[in-house]
Amino acid sequence: MKLLPIVLAAVCAVIAVLYWTGHFYPSGVHTKHGVVFAFLAVLCLVWYRFASNSSPTSVGKRL
Amino acid sequence: MFLAVLQGVSELFPVSSLGHTVIIPALLRWKVDRSDPTFLAFVVVLHLGTAIALIVFYWREWVNIIGAFVGSVIRGKLSNSRDEKVAWLLIAGTIPVGLLGVFFQKAVQGLFASPMIVSLFLVANAFVMFLGERLRSRQAAAVERVNRPLESLDWQAGIKVGFAQSLALLPGISRSGSAIVAGLLLDLDHEDAAKYSFLLATPVILAAAVLELPELFAPQVHLVLVQSIVGSIVAGITAYASVAFLTKYFQHNDLRPFGWYCLIVGLVSFTLFATKVVS
Repeated sequence: MKLLPIVLAAVCAVIAVLYWTGHFYPSGVHTKHGVVFAFLAVLCLVWYRFASNSSPTSVGKRL
Repeated sequence: MFLAVLQGVSELFPVSSLGHTVIIPALLRWKVDRSDPTFLAFVVVLHLGTAIALIVFYWREWVNIIGAFVGSVIRGKLSNSRDEKVAWLLIAGTIPVGLLGVFFQKAVQGLFASPMIVSLFLVANAFVMFLGERLRSRQAAAVERVNRPLESLDWQAGIKVGFAQSLALLPGISRSGSAIVAGLLLDLDHEDAAKYSFLLATPVILAAAVLELPELFAPQVHLVLVQSIVGSIVAGITAYASVAFLTKYFQHNDLRPFGWYCLIVGLVSFTLFATKVVS
């Protein structure tokens, strides 16, 4: 379970870069889509931070 | 100036700013080219003004929320702090509207941009508010539920409010109206539901403006620089006054007056467009 956020963060970061470089869609660069995926990548890293500090007070259990 | 006042007021009142920016120019027979770089730049600065007004109004809240969020990430744990919970609720609520907005906004608004359809959505917005108020009073009467504080919501509830807010991608449906209705159905009182809606709107409006900032560097934009700066200030002042009014208003009142407003404006506009009195 602790590996999942890291994998998702990496996938989101790669998609963000592909959007920014115009490789995801043939129609060109999609800056905003890239920003959204970069934001999701950061959120996944935050999720990892909470998951790696496994205790009853993790985000999912407390919120 | 008129557009700036319209943006500042209608962005926060639950009456759909997007709907008004489609219907009112059509009713007044203004020829607005929405793809013109100067118009896009003007819209960006109006949104910036509105977002800054919201940040200024809730600045203490934002300082506490951001501080609590950073603290929880550094610790890797959540405490029982209200600000931490609100911070995570805001993130949970922003994800759906951010994703849907970026991926579907242009397609959805392209499909439903006709003033006649927007008038119908404004009527639908009225019914969303009436229905929300009705369900809320039934819930309260049937189960003897008490109002929950904002920080008692869980992250699934935050996501639900975020999805409700995404309905505002349809021009004519209000962002704050749908978010407040979702909050009410989750047992928040009007005051907390409105506050959550305004806090949720801040990063969305700010991000929408910041992501469009490159529009400000289009070559023709210097022609409307003064109008844009004045428009931004006017939108900011009216947005500040609107949020100040609405936070007081929702302490003792509900959404129904805004529902009646949307119903009347939507029906009158639809009739005028359908009968081609205004084309």
